[in-house]
Amino acid sequence: MTRKAIYILAAFSLWLFIAGRGTHHIPATDPYILRLPDSLPRPVYDFSKNPLTKQGIALGRYLFYDPKLSLDSSVSCGFCHQQFAAFGHFDHAISHGILGRMGTRSVPTLFNLIWQKDFMWDGGVNHLEIQPLTPITDENEMGMELSALIKRLQGNAGYRQRFKAAFGTEEVTSQRMFRALAQFMATMISFESKYDSVMRKEPGVVFTAEERGGYRTFQQKCAACHKEPFFTDFSMRNNGLSYLSSMNDVGRMKITNNTADYLKFKVPSLRNVLVSAPYMHDGRFFDIFQVFAMYDHGQEKGNTIDPLVKDGIPLSEKEQRQLYMFLNTLTDRKFLANKEFSEILIAD
Amino acid sequence: MRPDGKPSGCFFLRTFGIMNRLLLLLSLFTCKILSAQTLQLNIRHEVSGKPMLLDSTSYLNAMGETFSISVFKYYLSNFSLTTQKGQKIILPAAYFLISEDSAASKKIILKQLPAGTYSSISFMIGVDSIMNFSGAQGGALDPVHGMFWTWNSGYIMAKLEGTSPVTKHPNHVLQFHIGGYRAPHITQRTVTLELPRPLVIQRGQTVAVTLAADAASWFGEPFKISFREYAGFMSPGTVADRIADNYQHMFSVKGL
Repeated sequence: MTRKAIYILAAFSLWLFIAGRGTHHIPATDPYILRLPDSLPRPVYDFSKNPLTKQGIALGRYLFYDPKLSLDSSVSCGFCHQQFAAFGHFDHAISHGILGRMGTRSVPTLFNLIWQKDFMWDGGVNHLEIQPLTPITDENEMGMELSALIKRLQGNAGYRQRFKAAFGTEEVTSQRMFRALAQFMATMISFESKYDSVMRKEPGVVFTAEERGGYRTFQQKCAACHKEPFFTDFSMRNNGLSYLSSMNDVGRMKITNNTADYLKFKVPSLRNVLVSAPYMHDGRFFDIFQVFAMYDHGQEKGNTIDPLVKDGIPLSEKEQRQLYMFLNTLTDRKFLANKEFSEILIAD
Repeated sequence: MRPDGKPSGCFFLRTFGIMNRLLLLLSLFTCKILSAQTLQLNIRHEVSGKPMLLDSTSYLNAMGETFSISVFKYYLSNFSLTTQKGQKIILPAAYFLISEDSAASKKIILKQLPAGTYSSISFMIGVDSIMNFSGAQGGALDPVHGMFWTWNSGYIMAKLEGTSPVTKHPNHVLQFHIGGYRAPHITQRTVTLELPRPLVIQRGQTVAVTLAADAASWFGEPFKISFREYAGFMSPGTVADRIADNYQHMFSVKGL
């Protein structure tokens, strides 16, 4: 009898649930299908807890471009992460923020983030959703206390509506804000460069002789760390960049307290590299040829230098020229111009 | 009712009536089995056995150094009870942020306990590792509470701030933010408290247990901390591990 009653109850609850969905004005969300090339590995980001929806992505984009996320409403995420620079900061060695303050590292590019396990130059941030917490609260960037930001958004009728559209109710929480930002950032996918077309053997797209030569050099001399298809292996390494006492940036060691991690920084992707100068964690090189020169003859070989580069990377003038031509094929013009990511004006 | 508002016919109306009563009965019944027994933990904070008073009172650490406390908060999670027969009952996942400045936070309600006779209670000081790398969380784990490191992801398991005249910090500030979830610097600590007498929780009952947490233990045993040497620690590391080893012993049972 009890078991039968439970079955009836279960069936009834299901009916109530289905019937209730129609009558109780819970706004519907439209699922968003992220199209990824089949050849790629499974993303690291777990979409099951934060399924992509058009409304969630739209909220994330709105937040991304809203300067109200900073203390004095002067700096948005998009202020430093510029689409035409592959969401790096064009022409700025070091990030800067509210009230003219300066940070200590260069702005990393943003794309293909759903395959990334650790964030920031030292890998100190462990999840895509949590990443925005750092620039938002850093006093040299957006300088905003999280609780004050959530109160600010709660007090904004437009945001309450956008949160409702994305998550079903007007409740504004940090978790929802971070998930919306993660949804927007998850859609920043860059696999439409000339290199990708060549690899996919698209008709009529081939490397020039110079590009092909550069690709060969890349495969021989760079690909161990800047591993295809992401052009990074997401590891942290000391590439031989000289230590600057004026910056005193110890890199990964700051996170692990382990001297073996001294001067190790994340291997950045080479995708879109020619549009995202300056280079290195402190943006000291404004020209990719300075980077080539560093590997060729300008390294500082301390204890923690990576075995793969400890003998330097000799690059002849021809190799450097061809490498440059090859890196050019990693620029994804469609990504840089994709209207779905472009800046929106925030009126309220 | 159909979505267009018209009655959906006699069959549904009749069934609705019967089902509704069934639903009510059954839900009452199931709620009673699942969650009628609750254990309320009342936590009071002390320093060397005296009630903790924020800011206004001076205390002595094990090295004889004067200090006062302005912030005292920590996470508790992963509760379990052991029955007199030695069976471990793991309670549903719950995370609590206890703070001296919030009376409400010092009353923890543990729900969905089976009725029984219990001899000990266990819990974790801190937040289990997986929640440290699972993205944005809500409730007690919302980073809005200031218990999450922004530059080196992970929860601050426990926080003690105050002042001590012996420190060289500006304004003689003491700042201990204890965290770290990755080897070798892991700061979660599990506490098991034997109850002074068996705790009988009968069907439908709410039982209260009073615990005391003594902040002096942070700097006492087994690792004596001198504020001259360490006036603060705010990253994963050996000092944090030692303080966690110390505060692992801060709880005692004060009454059933």
